[in-house]
Order: sequence, then C-alpha cells, then structure tokens
Amino acid sequence: MQPEDLERALGPALGPTLVGVEPFVGFAGRLRFRREGALDVFRAVHGLGFAHLSLVGGIDWVDHREVFYVAWSDDARQYVLLSTEVPANDAHLESATPVWPSADWHERETWELVDISFDHHPDLRHLLTPDGYAFHPLLRSFKLHEPEELEVKTRHV
Amino acid sequence: MSEMWINMGPQHPMTHGLWNLRVRIDGEVILDVDPEMGYLHRGIEKISEDRHYNEVITLMDRTCYVAGLSWEHLYILASEQALHIQPPERAQYLRVLCEEFQRIASHLMWYAAFVQDIGLMTPFLYGMRDRDLILDLFQSYTGARMTYEYMRVGGVRNDLPPGFTDQARKVLDWLGPRFDEYDRLCLGSDIFHKRCDNLGVLKANDCVRHGVTGPMLRSAGLRRDLRKDRPYAVYDQLDFEVARADTADVTGRYLVRMEEMRQSIRILRQVLDWLDHHPGPVLAHELPRWLGAPYAPVGREGYLLKRHYPKGVGFSSIEEPHGEAQAYVVNEGGEHPYRVKFRSPVFANVSAARQYLIGYRVADIPPIMGSVDVCVGEVDR
Amino acid sequence: MSNLTLYSVSFDLVDAVLSAIGSVLPAPLNAWITNADLITGLAVLVFAALLLAASMLNTIMLIWWERKLLGRFMDRRGAMHVGYAGLLQNFADGFKLFRKTTVRPREADPLGFVSGPTAYMVTSMILFGVLPISSGWNSGALPLSLLLALAIFSFAPLFIFVSAWSSNNKYSLMGGMRSAAQMIAYEVPLLLAVVAVVIVSGSFDLTTIVYEQQNYWFWGPLFVALLVFVAGMLAEMERIPFDLPEAEAELVEGWNTEYGGMLFAFFMLADYLRALIGSILVVLLFLGGWTMPTWVPSVATSFPLAGIFWFMLKTYLVFAVFIWIRASLPRVRTDQLLRVGWNRMIPLSLLSVFLAAALVTVKCLPVFGCVPSPGI
Repeated sequence: MQPEDLERALGPALGPTLVGVEPFVGFAGRLRFRREGALDVFRAVHGLGFAHLSLVGGIDWVDHREVFYVAWSDDARQYVLLSTEVPANDAHLESATPVWPSADWHERETWELVDISFDHHPDLRHLLTPDGYAFHPLLRSFKLHEPEELEVKTRHV
Repeated sequence: MSEMWINMGPQHPMTHGLWNLRVRIDGEVILDVDPEMGYLHRGIEKISEDRHYNEVITLMDRTCYVAGLSWEHLYILASEQALHIQPPERAQYLRVLCEEFQRIASHLMWYAAFVQDIGLMTPFLYGMRDRDLILDLFQSYTGARMTYEYMRVGGVRNDLPPGFTDQARKVLDWLGPRFDEYDRLCLGSDIFHKRCDNLGVLKANDCVRHGVTGPMLRSAGLRRDLRKDRPYAVYDQLDFEVARADTADVTGRYLVRMEEMRQSIRILRQVLDWLDHHPGPVLAHELPRWLGAPYAPVGREGYLLKRHYPKGVGFSSIEEPHGEAQAYVVNEGGEHPYRVKFRSPVFANVSAARQYLIGYRVADIPPIMGSVDVCVGEVDR
Repeated sequence: MSNLTLYSVSFDLVDAVLSAIGSVLPAPLNAWITNADLITGLAVLVFAALLLAASMLNTIMLIWWERKLLGRFMDRRGAMHVGYAGLLQNFADGFKLFRKTTVRPREADPLGFVSGPTAYMVTSMILFGVLPISSGWNSGALPLSLLLALAIFSFAPLFIFVSAWSSNNKYSLMGGMRSAAQMIAYEVPLLLAVVAVVIVSGSFDLTTIVYEQQNYWFWGPLFVALLVFVAGMLAEMERIPFDLPEAEAELVEGWNTEYGGMLFAFFMLADYLRALIGSILVVLLFLGGWTMPTWVPSVATSFPLAGIFWFMLKTYLVFAVFIWIRASLPRVRTDQLLRVGWNRMIPLSLLSVFLAAALVTVKCLPVFGCVPSPGI
C-alpha cells in the first residue's frame, strides 16, 4: 500500500478531517488528520485492515503537542502512522479505545506523561506514576536535574 | 470465603519483577484483575532526551534486563534511520548474532521461571545452567554478562575475539539436545498438560484487538514475525521458519518458544558461517566525528552549535523475544534525541490481562503470567 | 519379641543412677531419692530427651539427604561447605533461625500464632513415641500403635488452620483452607489403604505387622494399597506434586507466609518430621520394617544394630523416592487434587481393601505361593 492508495481510499470519506498523507520510510504512509474527527479516522483506518494498534505516543512541541498512532495491517504487512496535533493549552483528543481496545494503556501513559487527555477513555488513571502525581515528565518544561516535590498516595486493598 | 481483593505483588514470586496484580477472587475463582505497574518506572524516555545518542544505549540494557541486546538493536535501528547512517554489513550480522543469542537466553530465562511457576523445580536449574553458557559467550565479546553496551550508532563496538565462532558452535551443539530434554521433562508429564492445556486462552482475534504480539500471538495460530514480515538488519538473507501453534493456551506458548529457540540455533549457524568468511569493518567510516568514536564524549552545549546536524525521524520495530518492540526517535538536530518513544511488547501483553485471566483459578495465575513472560523493566521503562 | 523399649531403657537408666546415688546418701534422703514416683518422672523426662534427640537428628539428616539428592537431580551439588559434604549445614541453618527475632504481625492473634506451630511440631514429635525402630528398640509397645500413629498424624490440619487463620493474612488463610481440604480428602484413602494392611496382618500393632512380613513383604500382594498409601502420604506431607497449600508461586508459602525465625523452623522441622514418619510408615507397613528377606546372607543381618541399620536404610531410600518425585513433577491444582482424591483414590483404596480380604480368604498369594496367613 502506498500513500496515494491511502489518500484515495480515505480522502472522500473523511473530507477535511484528513490533512494529508506523506510517505514515510517502511510505512504505508504518514497520515495527518485534524483532531475533531479523530474517531472517524480511526474507524476508517481500521476498516482498511489496520486492525492491530501497536503504539500511541505523544510529543511535546512546546507550542502544540503531537499524538501519533502506529497500526499494523496483517493483509498489507505494513504499518501506518497516524498523527494529529492538539494545542498545548487545550490538549485533549477522542480516545481510540472504541476502535482499538489496545489503545487503553498507551493512552493512559500518554495522559500522565505528556499531559494529553483522552475523551471517553474507559479508565483514565495513572499507570506508571503514583496516584496523585502532579507532574508530566515528558513535557519539555519538566527539566531533569532539578528537585521535584513528590507526594505519593498508595491504594490499599 | 466471600469475595475479596488480594494483592499479588509487588513482592510476590509470581510477578517475576516488580509489579502488582490486584486480583478479586471468590474462593479460588478469579473475578477481576487489575495490573498495577510503575514500580520500576525510571523514565528512560525522559532521560534519553538528555543524553548523547550513544549514551542512550546504556539505558537500553536496563530497559529489559533479560534481553538487553535486543533493545539495543531496536534503538540503534531507529536512531540510525533518524541520523541517516548506514552500518556496514558485518555489523548487521553481528547484531543478528547478538539478537538471536539473546532470544535463546531470554527464552531460557523464561523457561526457568515458567516451570518454577507450576512447581517444577529441576528445569529451573537446567535453564539457568544453559543460559550461563550464552552469557559466557556475551562476556567474551562484549565484556559484560548483563549490561552489554555493545552496539553503536553506525555499527558495533568491536569485532569478535579469535576462536569465538568455534566456541559458539560448541554451545549450539550442546543446546540443541537440551531442548529435547526440556520437552521430555515438561510435555512428557501428565500433570504439566493438566496444568497448562486450555489455560489462559487468548484467541487470535482478541490478540489483535488488544495489541498482543510475540509468542502469545503466534501460539494463537497467526504466522506473524517481523523478521519475516518486515525484515530488518539481514534477516531477509537468512533461512528460518516462523514458530507457530494453534491452541492459543499456555502449552501453545511453551511450544512456540521452544521452537523459536531451535530456529534461533538454525539462524545462528548461518550467521556464524557468514562471519567466518566475511571479515570487514564493524563501524561505519562516514560517521560524523561526534558519533564516530566508540566512547564518544558528552557534547557540551556551546560546542554543539558549530556543527551541522541532520534532522529526521526514525522508526524501527523488531521481533524481540517477548514480541514486537518499536522505537520512535525524533531527531531535531543536536547530539540528543528530541523525543524517544518505545513500544514494549510486554506492556501490551500485560494490558490484556483481563482477557486471559478472568474465570480461571488463583493457582492458574502463575502459569498464565509465566507464559506471558513479563519483563517489568520493559513495561515501566 | 523383646520387651526392650526406649521407655524401659530410660527407666532402667534412671533407676540405676538414682539407686547408686541413694546408696551413698543418709537414710531419709535415701528413701526420698529412690521413690518410685521420682524415678518414673525422671524416666519420662529422659525418655522425652532421647526421643527428641533421635527424631531431631534424623530430621536434620533427612533435610541434608534431600538437599544433596535434590542437588544432584538438578545438576548441582547441594550443601557442601559446612562440615564434610555439608553435613553440618543444617545445624548452622537451625542455629541461624534460632537466633532470629520472631516477628509477629500486629493484627495476628498471639495465642494461635504461637501455639499453632508449636502444637504442630509437638504432635509430629509425639509420633516417634509410638513407632518401633527395630525388634529391640521401640519407644513404647502399644497394641494399637498404628491406629494411634494415624490419629496423631491427622491432627495436623487443625493446627495448620489455626496458625493460618491467626496469621490474619489472606494468603495464609487460603493456604490453610487448601491444606484442610486436602488433608481431609486424602485422610480417607490413606486409612483405607492401612485397613488393607491390617486385614492381611491381622493386627494394629506395628511390631506385629512387621513380623507378619518376615516371609513376604506386603508391597507385592498389596501393591494397590501401597500406591494409594504413598500418594496419600505425599498429600499429607504436602510435598510436590501435592504441595499446593504452601504453593510458593501463587500463595507465597501459603499458611506459613507470616512466620519467620524459630516459629518457621518449627514448621519446617515438623514438615520433615512428618516426611520422616511417612517414610517410616511405608517401610513398616509395606517394606518389612527391619526384617530382611531370608536369601540375604546372615552376616548382613546379624551384626549389632543390624535391624536399625536396615530400617533406616530403607527409610532413607523411601524418602529418596519422594525426593525423586519432587525433582520431576509439577504441582497439581486444588480442584484437580480433590477430584483425584475423591474420584480416584477412594475407589482404588476400596479395591485394595477388597483385594486384601480376598487374599486372606484364599490364604494364597499369586506370586509367593500359599503361605500361612493369620487372617482375621
């Protein structure tokens, strides 16, 4: 599958939600989309056979944040890279869990580390950091080599 | 007994690491589970942003403490793509050598821990004994048994010592018959089948939905192996089969891992033959100077600005012993990566715990989680 | 049959010592010190001390035997640094456990937490008082010693459950539950297998049972009973493959999770005591006790303490089989264990009782020919 194929298959259905498809080494393409129609994009991409979501990650570009998804298709034997941008002061996005249940933990991790919230996520809790941890370590504003105040709340059964 | 929550972990023999499986049970039946991770979260992705490209390799050894070389390979592939560097062919063969030996070592570690989970003590010692032979080999050419720091952006640190290939062949000759012995000890036992058959079943469909990869996915019948599907390094020039089983249960995962070890031996023999006949450089010549030295000094900030750094994004995915690992390296110029994101196969496999644990018994948790082969360093990073 | 017992030996010993002391003392003290009550009381103490020493020494040797043999099965050497071939390793370990602080969880029940392991240990040790070791060496000759031994043996689930419950730990509680269920399930086939032996030998006295085996050991004619007995014993001893009450993989040692120091040592020692007693019972009931077949040259059976020698050799070999099983089998699951116990073991043990009754009725054995058998 080539970027052109992706654009041809998805363009009409998604309309303005789809920003564009660029080539990316070793991938079917890098698909940029607007966050407003995120769930439609996930459904459409899933419909193309990319049933296996491997990775959700966030990048802090200081002025905005990028969320990227890597999905694999068993038929095409190829990855596709989806990416979207969210503004830093309003960083939230529709959750991919209705389409790909495997997004669950990846989104929890992205939420706590890169501070990107996922709407309608079934269980948005801290995963790697303790409950109540107020920092988002993977933001560029979180500098290493500086003392941090840590308040740990543990769950007791 | 009425329903209750029990904490399996963070210090519990089942966990094989530092994590907490909260289990709601009714008598002995599991009603709900909730894995609680993060006890080993060291922020490797964050620390990487503050480090030289070659310094991140140190962290990779610590990411997964039983498959350090595989993680080095993963990171190196992504950062080479981000930095537009092509390693020499011999280095690629050496990396495959590392990865396959690491696969056997990791699977032997899994075997040792897994049989211990179902109460079989003897193979634990057998597994560790045979894993030690591979660690000896690693020590002979990387200088370390656990934290290797062997690969470099643009190649590997050093070539093999003289006589290594013969020694490695001896180890392989020893290991082959041992795997049959392991099989007799486990598959020959009725109790093993009673404990493991139809246990922790996760069908191919659910595996894909929940992002499960590696031996768990292949035991469900899917022929999916990145070494075949998306060959990296020199895997397209090597001849091997993809291990597969149809039962999707704990026994299936056992069979897949055993077969994978046998296939690794097959790959290793080809690699050793190639290495014998193709001497050459192991580190790329056209490296930028700040990357070229095997022990590259840490760059100082003012010193950086005078140089020209290419920008780029690197993505790699390899078939790690536990499954499909991915790395995403963003290079915005400079000696440090801008952002490194790792996808750990165990992370996804554990996140699907509800799918393969609920409905079974408390006594089934150790064999099921054992068959998942949890490496916590990898999950928490 | 000699009447020499461990108790009579200690009685004679105390009697002799006190008489010797009394002979040199003036009159009123003389009468007091040779008082029969005092002699009996001291004799009981000496008896208990001897019993303790013998059982502990053997238990510790059994642990050494297991460590060495298990080590060999696993392609390693086991303990080897303290003493010759690591013989003193277990004494060092015991000393270490003895010095350790006993930590009791705050929420645990003090009475049950301490009394559970103690009672478990004590009841296991009492068992030595009823088991004959050789023709001239049994602790107390009782006509119903087999029944008494099995009765004391079956106390264990109660004490395990008490200590598990008073630990106030969920793992301990689950382990205690499993232990109780398992021991009760396997108690029945165990007793039925013993009934087969009793039918053939016609006695509840272990010494008589051994002498009934002078012509043929019972393991051949009562093979089914032996299998059931060994399996039941494995379950009672909580050894692999039936060690699920203390399954370390899921229950973190089950009912002794919260124990450390000397209280844990009590559990550990009592476990091996019970293992030793289990092996002794197998030898007594099925392998001819201290008797040897007639084809064995008399030089091998007539040296001093030959009975004890052969008896202990058999016991350690039986235990070696248990170690072998431990080295090569995985652990079963609770429901599988109970299903096997109720659905397989009980019918099998009933079958063994039936076979024993048939043997006694026809007074002939398929392999050994027609031999006089006392029957019932």
